[in-house]
Amino acid sequence: MSLHDLLVTSFVQHAFYAVTAVALAAGAVGYFVVLRRQAFAAHAIGHVGFAGAAGAVLLGLSPIVGLLVFCLGAGLLIGLGGATLDDRDAVVGVTLTAALGLGVLFISLYSGYANATYSILFGQILGVTWGAVGLVAALSLGVLLVVSLTYRPLLFVSVDERSAASRGLSTRGLSLLFMSLLAITTVVAIQIVGVLLVFSLLVAPAAAAEVMTSRPLGAMFLSMFLALVSAWFGLFLGVWIGGPVSFWITALASLAYLLARLAAMRRARRSTRVVA
Amino acid sequence: MSVLTMNNGAAVLGGRRIWSDASFAIEPGTITAVLGPNGAGKSTLLNIILGLVPLAEGTMHVLGEVPHRGNLHVGYMAQTRQADTVATMTGRDFVGLGFDGPRFGWGHDRTKKEVVRQALALTGTTSFADQPLHSLSGGQRQRIALAHSTVFSPELLLLDEPLAALDLAAQAEIVDLIKLLRDTTGAAVVVVAHDLNPLSSIVDQVLWIARHQVRCGTVDEVVNEKVLSELYGQPIEIIVTPRGRRVIVGLEEELAHPHPHGHDHSHEGLHEHDTDNGETHSHGHDNGHHAEAPSHEHHVAKNLELGE
Repeated sequence: MSLHDLLVTSFVQHAFYAVTAVALAAGAVGYFVVLRRQAFAAHAIGHVGFAGAAGAVLLGLSPIVGLLVFCLGAGLLIGLGGATLDDRDAVVGVTLTAALGLGVLFISLYSGYANATYSILFGQILGVTWGAVGLVAALSLGVLLVVSLTYRPLLFVSVDERSAASRGLSTRGLSLLFMSLLAITTVVAIQIVGVLLVFSLLVAPAAAAEVMTSRPLGAMFLSMFLALVSAWFGLFLGVWIGGPVSFWITALASLAYLLARLAAMRRARRSTRVVA
Repeated sequence: MSVLTMNNGAAVLGGRRIWSDASFAIEPGTITAVLGPNGAGKSTLLNIILGLVPLAEGTMHVLGEVPHRGNLHVGYMAQTRQADTVATMTGRDFVGLGFDGPRFGWGHDRTKKEVVRQALALTGTTSFADQPLHSLSGGQRQRIALAHSTVFSPELLLLDEPLAALDLAAQAEIVDLIKLLRDTTGAAVVVVAHDLNPLSSIVDQVLWIARHQVRCGTVDEVVNEKVLSELYGQPIEIIVTPRGRRVIVGLEEELAHPHPHGHDHSHEGLHEHDTDNGETHSHGHDNGHHAEAPSHEHHVAKNLELGE
């Protein structure tokens, strides 16, 4: 079968639509994750989701149901737990550990084939059904819509919580809203790259974008663009060369971050030379 | 009409009485320094004026209204901001958030650009407004933050420790800017501070908060041996230096600047390590020297990282 034949098969088409929607949502939400220094929360939510998915499989339900319930629950718990951005680490850590413990229990109770567990951990985008694509795309577009409507207040509380509160914004309300967006984005990103590689779409593109520009709106669009490019080429390479798509996406997103850092170092060296 | 009036006000946080029997007024175009030890309730007073914390007893009016959040006639500058150290953002963007940051939705206000440009020009920040905040000096960041909180030309401007963690030269610069903002906008300014001396040339009125009490008056009425000794219940001596600086003997610990801690201040000093000129601090501490050694190492480490 030629490359062209491969690319037009329905399972590659499904995957293409899914990664497009997810990459855009993850790039946008990821920008705020990096801005708010909440990568640890994103990490924890993914792992909590693993417990949810394992529990759903044990009960004979679709893993995505368990993912949604557990990720949203963890997001709201983390959002409620800390009143300010500074004191959340302990809450996140305890939530993470408790959920991982549950996940271990669920897997040990489940006697069936471990394939479901594997795809939750490492992603399994090739082979998704139209129904799953529709759900993932709808969730992603919903996240994008909410981000576009709340962009300014989210940015404001992220960079000056006290001033934002004095201007009448609810820091707790926005924190809960953001954690919900992060939870849903994590769920859809897990469909593509899995729990363990969720940072490849959620943190790496945004971190690269933040190194490349100091303009918030520009950084958010750049983050979405980098996530999209990593996802598209990752899918293409996975189909063309072989190997897990999630590996290719992770490799490309990490490469983008590495190149951004190298470019920033060159810029810094050049400017110090000018000063000297 | 007074910008702010407080009658027999009391602050209670978590069941604990912070201060009570506070009565004072703040007039338009005046500068009020709020002084007192850490934890005495200086920031709580700002929170009450902002409507973030309710007044437990008494009455307060801000511009004729009961304090409420989101009052555009009240400007506020927080002591620490995530934008300064962690977030990557230009000064222009940060000032822009002062304009439309609280607004939800897709709309875009065409006047924003011009309003932000004017705020930057007034605060003398135009030349570095397009650099990321974390690359600026402490003084430059405070100027940007002042532009952020005065975008709407507020009638009451609340500044929480605008001089903390700045060297003497930058402190003088910010004090001049506060005076300029007061003169051009006619706003009443309330400045929370640890040290009266840098502000003494522009201050019209002092609120001294300590031991659950609030004393209000001119500098001479409040910062004298009789009032402070009575307030603290212990003998306080005040030495006035030939240049007019007040050294308060007996309150050195209470009035010391909080030592820099955590990541909030990790970039401070990078641009200011050469300015401790050996002048005696009124509170008798050698904070400048404490801050100097590590910041110098920081500087060296940074240069090494850049391959110099």
